[in-house]
Amino acid sequence: MPLRRIFAITSILFLAVLAVSPLKNALRPYRGFQRAFARLGASRAKSLQAAKAYQQQPVAIRQIWLPDFENRVDRCTTCHLGVQDASMAGAPEPFRLHPASYHTPKDTGRFGCTACHGGQGLATLEKDAHGAVADAESPMVPLKFIESGCGRCHTSEQVAGAATLSLGRAALERNGCYACHTVKGHEGFRSEAPPIEAVALKTGAEALRRWLKDPKAVDPNATMPRFQLSASEVEELSHYVFSLAPTRALADRVQAAAAEPAGDAAKGKALFAESRCISCHTVEGKGNGSAPELSRVASRASAGWLLAFLRDPHAFNPRTRMPRFNFSADEERHVVAYMEAEFKDFDAPKEILDPLHVNQTLAEKGKVLFRQKGCYACHAPGAAVDRFGPPLDGIGDKRAASLDFGKRTDIAHTLPAWLEAKVQKPGSFQDGLKMPTFTLSPKEAQAVVTALLSLGAKPVPQPYRSVPTVRASLLPGGAVGALMDKYRCLSCHQIGDRGGDISTAPLTAEGSKVKRDWLVDYLVLSFTIRPILTDRMPVFQMTRDEATQLAQAFETFYLDPRIPEDPYAGQPASSKDPVEGKRLYDTLGCRACHILGAGGGYYGPPLTEAGTRLKPGWTYAWLKGPQKWRADVRCPNYGLTDASALQLTAYLDTLVKSPTASKAKRGGTR
Amino acid sequence: MNGNAFSFSQLGTLIRGSAVYRSIVRHGTAETNRNRSLVIFENLFLHVHPVKVREKTLKFSHTYWLGGITVSALVVLIATGILLMFYYHPSVPQAYRDMKELKFVVDNGVFYRNLHRWAAHLMVLGALLHMGRVFYHRAYRPPRQFNWVIGVVLLLVTLLLSYTGYLLPWDQLAFWGVSVGTNMAKEAPILGPPLRFLMLGGNIVSENALLRFYVLHCVLLPAALLGFLGVHIWRVRKDGGVQGPPEPPADDEVEP
Repeated sequence: MPLRRIFAITSILFLAVLAVSPLKNALRPYRGFQRAFARLGASRAKSLQAAKAYQQQPVAIRQIWLPDFENRVDRCTTCHLGVQDASMAGAPEPFRLHPASYHTPKDTGRFGCTACHGGQGLATLEKDAHGAVADAESPMVPLKFIESGCGRCHTSEQVAGAATLSLGRAALERNGCYACHTVKGHEGFRSEAPPIEAVALKTGAEALRRWLKDPKAVDPNATMPRFQLSASEVEELSHYVFSLAPTRALADRVQAAAAEPAGDAAKGKALFAESRCISCHTVEGKGNGSAPELSRVASRASAGWLLAFLRDPHAFNPRTRMPRFNFSADEERHVVAYMEAEFKDFDAPKEILDPLHVNQTLAEKGKVLFRQKGCYACHAPGAAVDRFGPPLDGIGDKRAASLDFGKRTDIAHTLPAWLEAKVQKPGSFQDGLKMPTFTLSPKEAQAVVTALLSLGAKPVPQPYRSVPTVRASLLPGGAVGALMDKYRCLSCHQIGDRGGDISTAPLTAEGSKVKRDWLVDYLVLSFTIRPILTDRMPVFQMTRDEATQLAQAFETFYLDPRIPEDPYAGQPASSKDPVEGKRLYDTLGCRACHILGAGGGYYGPPLTEAGTRLKPGWTYAWLKGPQKWRADVRCPNYGLTDASALQLTAYLDTLVKSPTASKAKRGGTR
Repeated sequence: MNGNAFSFSQLGTLIRGSAVYRSIVRHGTAETNRNRSLVIFENLFLHVHPVKVREKTLKFSHTYWLGGITVSALVVLIATGILLMFYYHPSVPQAYRDMKELKFVVDNGVFYRNLHRWAAHLMVLGALLHMGRVFYHRAYRPPRQFNWVIGVVLLLVTLLLSYTGYLLPWDQLAFWGVSVGTNMAKEAPILGPPLRFLMLGGNIVSENALLRFYVLHCVLLPAALLGFLGVHIWRVRKDGGVQGPPEPPADDEVEP
């Protein structure tokens, strides 16, 4: 019967088809991985019992469930079985132990995997989990940008242990990205660019033309990006800039300064070195680089302007980071004379600083360009802010499919690749885009992309959000506030989560940390505390009155309640024993990093005068756990008991400067 | 061998003589016409069939098995649908995630989901072709005019089931599909806007819409379908079985 035979054959075929699915189910790749892991674990195990434990692990899906974190389920550990297994160091992937970092591998159960790495935590197949398919929903973040994961929870500007992310966030701010793009938390951003109406006072037509063409070619530290301007556009903008009337008062200052007699360049040279200008500026590339390169500054700023600016930078640009130095009028003239003599572009034409005879038609065109090109976002006079770039909030979660790759067919269709190309060559996507070119080094580009990728579409839930433990303290008002503004403490130091990153000493707890008398001396004549550092505190020529005022204010405002005023209170008398403390100092090996007397290492600050400088409360708090105060510090946490920490503190407190030696020593470090 | 055969027949007799067997299979297998009729009459599952079927209606070209295929697809849909309901939460944070769970964790989850999807396509296609077959066989004419109307209702319910199921994965396709569909409904005169509001449980495609579509898809529409399907098959039997291709007209009926 052919019909019955057909029926029989189709029935068997049908059953076979039905068996495909259970078969695929039984042969899922993770099962193979888990068996391989059991073999590998058993072969690496140190004891028979441990080997048995590996073999007895059931083959099953493993997952990390985070109910408080968007109900995340990360099944990565189904295959990556060794992430928390110390015996899997150096094992082949996918079994390798997670490299040690801030939260890993110990905190893997708290944060899961996808919070930092991206990818699809629910998936149990490699292709889906890693998002290696075209337009995957949440592809993994390339390891190059992995610190963007830190930034999802740590929203502060500086994140300890995440150098790339911190660099990227600083670069976003420094390059003025927030001037055009809205980003939550930076709505109040104002660029440090000088107000445009005062530019004509400073520079000449040819110098301005060169600057507009390519600012970085004129000054490698320039933060102004390169706008692709044609020669005629450069001309129009120049005419516009010179058509603006500067404030009468400023013009008078420059004119008066220009008329003053020239100073002594040799004395200026000494002052220039003494004041440590290159803690922020560079000369021939030497220096910190967070302020303009000075080696050719006299060919882009007139002598009158230089003098007037040095005298009171804040009058010319209220947002500049440059502090006001307490030079005498003579000293100011010496410094400018030195700059005029040495910091010139000797190849530049003589008329480089000549002003421009304004052509009104061109100036009108320039005015339109000034708006069109977005110059006003940074240089706008007054408080007008109009961020016309697309908002960047949530850019880290954009799907590749929603990005315009334009002419860039050469790059991978992924968000990180798009961002990397965009921040380096924004003009290459399409003609006529407004975004200018920021000349970023590959390292900076990587950092900026990392910072951008950390801007998630929605904030992480509360228990995972890292709020800086010390909130930004307000600057004190009155005379002290004015002093701190005059010397621009925040350009280099951090207070709370605000401030620059040039100094390694935040001021947040300065009052709990150092003794007042020492601070007064230090402010009057600062010296290097840590010999290894190259960026040193400038010498402001601060008066003793000003220094006392500041030191008093620090002792009032910048305190940390976690640091005891008197650490010995309520402790037995033996805790004050400096002899036992000295023994501890020797046995713990503090000498390896700290100078004391004749010998010791260079990494940490010298302790020869520790008792003069540090308050015992701070020394004690620091010894109890240095990492609590500065995350990147290398000073080890010895886990000292209260008694030992106090004895060591007592010993360090006995180390005071001898009245005779101090003067000579200071002179040496200047 | 003989001993085995003997014991088998003995076992058979034993089973057939038991009270349990006789209370289930009440009429034995005696192949008399009377007995065959009784078997059909007294069995809930078989009594929708006519007692006697004319041999020519069993020909493939009579039905192309289209109605049967549609009903079989429905059986598959109910079976897989119940299994899928075990893993599905009709809520916004969970619905799409459950699709992922089906794919990544649930044993044979993808298989069941795909089976449900393809069976749904097959059911819609089968119902449409079945309707075409009935039309071309002129089976909408008396005495089957009532069943034709029931059939049209069944087709509509099938399409509604298909549409409500479309939203449940809660992916972009579903969201926009339902957005567009309900906006089309809104364009109906007078009734349109309130109809859309009723469908979505609000003015946008949201959690309410998801819940409504879920209840429609899993409770109301299947219940309606099964009810009408019962009537439909019952009417087929009452109207004398399937119609099949109409007889060629007698000579005297041919128009000149």
